[in-house]
Amino acid sequence: MRKNVSVGKILDTTITYLILLAVAFVFFFPCLWLILASFSKSGSIYSFDGFFPSQYSTASFVKLFTDTAMYNYPKWFMNTLLIAAGSCALGTFLTILTAYTMSRFNFRMRKPMMKTTMVLGMFPSFMGMTVVYLLMTQFGLINHLGGLILIYASGAPMGYLTQKGFFDTIPRSIDEAAKIDGATNFQIFTRINLPLSKPIIVYTALTSFTWPWSDFILPKLLLKEKNLYTVAVGLMSLDETEFARFAAGSVFIAVPIVILYFCLVKNMVNGIAEGAVKG
Amino acid sequence: MKEKWNKFISAAHGSSWKVRLSAVVMGGGQFLYGSYGKGILYFLLEAGIIAYMVLRGFRDIQGFFTLGTQKGDPWLGTVGDNSVIMLLMGIFAWIIVAAFFYLYQLNLKDAWHTQKIVESGKRPLSFKEELAQLMDKKFYITVLILPVLGVCVFNVLPIVFMILIAFTNYGGDIVPPELVDWVGAANFEKLIALSQFAPTFFKILGWNLLWAVVSTILNYFLGLGLALLLDKECVKGKALWRAFPILAYAIPGFITLLAFKFMFSYGGPINQMITDAGNMATGFLDLDAKWMARGIGVLVNCWISVPSIMLLATGHLSNRDMSLYEAARIDGAGRWKQFQRLTMPFMLFATTPVLLSQFIGNFNNFGIFYFLRGGLYVDGYFLASDTDLLINWLYNLSIDNNYYCIGAAISLVIFMITSLISLVIYVKSPSYREEDTFQ
Repeated sequence: MRKNVSVGKILDTTITYLILLAVAFVFFFPCLWLILASFSKSGSIYSFDGFFPSQYSTASFVKLFTDTAMYNYPKWFMNTLLIAAGSCALGTFLTILTAYTMSRFNFRMRKPMMKTTMVLGMFPSFMGMTVVYLLMTQFGLINHLGGLILIYASGAPMGYLTQKGFFDTIPRSIDEAAKIDGATNFQIFTRINLPLSKPIIVYTALTSFTWPWSDFILPKLLLKEKNLYTVAVGLMSLDETEFARFAAGSVFIAVPIVILYFCLVKNMVNGIAEGAVKG
Repeated sequence: MKEKWNKFISAAHGSSWKVRLSAVVMGGGQFLYGSYGKGILYFLLEAGIIAYMVLRGFRDIQGFFTLGTQKGDPWLGTVGDNSVIMLLMGIFAWIIVAAFFYLYQLNLKDAWHTQKIVESGKRPLSFKEELAQLMDKKFYITVLILPVLGVCVFNVLPIVFMILIAFTNYGGDIVPPELVDWVGAANFEKLIALSQFAPTFFKILGWNLLWAVVSTILNYFLGLGLALLLDKECVKGKALWRAFPILAYAIPGFITLLAFKFMFSYGGPINQMITDAGNMATGFLDLDAKWMARGIGVLVNCWISVPSIMLLATGHLSNRDMSLYEAARIDGAGRWKQFQRLTMPFMLFATTPVLLSQFIGNFNNFGIFYFLRGGLYVDGYFLASDTDLLINWLYNLSIDNNYYCIGAAISLVIFMITSLISLVIYVKSPSYREEDTFQ
């Protein structure tokens, strides 16, 4: 009987590890494939030996940054960085302010506004794209990186719920104490709550950075010149013969994001969980 | 309602002539009571709105109904009406009208309050003090102006516009300079009966629902299973094992999708292995690869979504009450029973909102088939392929092919389906009823 249990346990552990190995393989293999492909000597996918390149070199990375006549990757990269950084700064600012107000103030329009944002979220995301295009033509912001920043940043406050959940957890008694000491609401926000909310600011900044970083619909619609492409749109225009270039370009923009995620994964998990419960 | 009305009547009787002046000239009462700055501000607002209405507002509202009467003719050199701009300007004019009524009642209330303050012998707040309040008592107004404005211009206005477009014949051949007209519910009739749209619509709707259900269930249970597996006591080096799914989670979606497209392409590695083994290359994502392409879509979607569910489930699993499991073990419950009776109910309770947003996200999952099979049009479908979801069809119709009104009608259908499902689930779920406990 006793032996039986331990055999069962060993079997159980073995199966668990086998499954884990399979899972690790499934998730890691495509990444490995892409990384190795970016170091292949020939660019075309047809010259590969099954999954892996037949010869290795760093030529694709060199080509990515020097051969810019057809595919100007450095320019795409700078465009993407500019858009993402701009939207991140502006979007985080607006989202934090919105979430804070929704959490702390009890005004007449609060509930209606919360309900409205919920209903707005139910509409398909690019339902209004044609109109946004129309508006941008009216404002003269087509083929303009600033226009994209404006759209991303103004859409950001719609996702304030996670942040509101965070502010709900900061006890209000601190606010009241400050109020008795004569602080205005503006001061309470900037002097007390803002310093306390560093983790959520980091989380917000990360999410509002990665969204424009990997979006492809808006840039495709609003940026028609090849020089204004973002990385996402640019990489989409590469075909099978440019596979190594695609892989190199992908690896180059995925690595910083992956590192960021790994540094902040604790933050992310808590952020997601809290936002979900308090939604 | 009646109470409010009575209150209004008594307030109207008790108001002085100065307040009544405010009903005609906005800000008049405030000005006479000594709030000069605010009085002038209200007056300027009223003057500005009236000037706008006279100069173009009335014409814009008229244009909203007619959507243009004069067709442009390049030969005669007449500049015609642009129906789309007229509709946009018409919506804008309605917003101004609504804003006016809001300001008007605000003005009356404010004048009445000023009267009360003066009657009680106090001095009304000066303009400077009112501004200072925007940093304190009314801080929320200052803060929310920008976000609300942004959301209104780039989210609300486009959505309102597209809802209206769903009831016009805008699109196809009828784009400016042609004149657009209101057509009532004709677009919806076209979608569900007798036109080239109807068969495509029902085929896509059916596949879309199947896709959403299958991929949500699959993602959810795979993610939960993975989290439970990693939670087992016998697993050493949890952080390392967890790193692989997180890697997949962190890579931007479009890179993953493009990479999978390359993987399953004709020259891709899988086909190379097939040809090396002496077989014919397979078109995994080709025109005739209906169910194969659908299956690949489901698997790729798993690869992308399972890690996020795993992370989320990990967070929730650590909140479980472990003493319940201890008790269950003593009572002789096996592991399957524990999962069935303890883990599942708890997880379902904690993750209903997530399950819901997963379902809606999958229902509207644009990226998967846009990248894997973008731009394919299959026979028997009108401007769509057999893997396309409603949202892909919406994109094909309204952005690639200018069928704006049909696209808008499909948007509304998608909205109705998603909001109906959410409403039902939200109202029934316990986590919704207890939403306010944390507020």
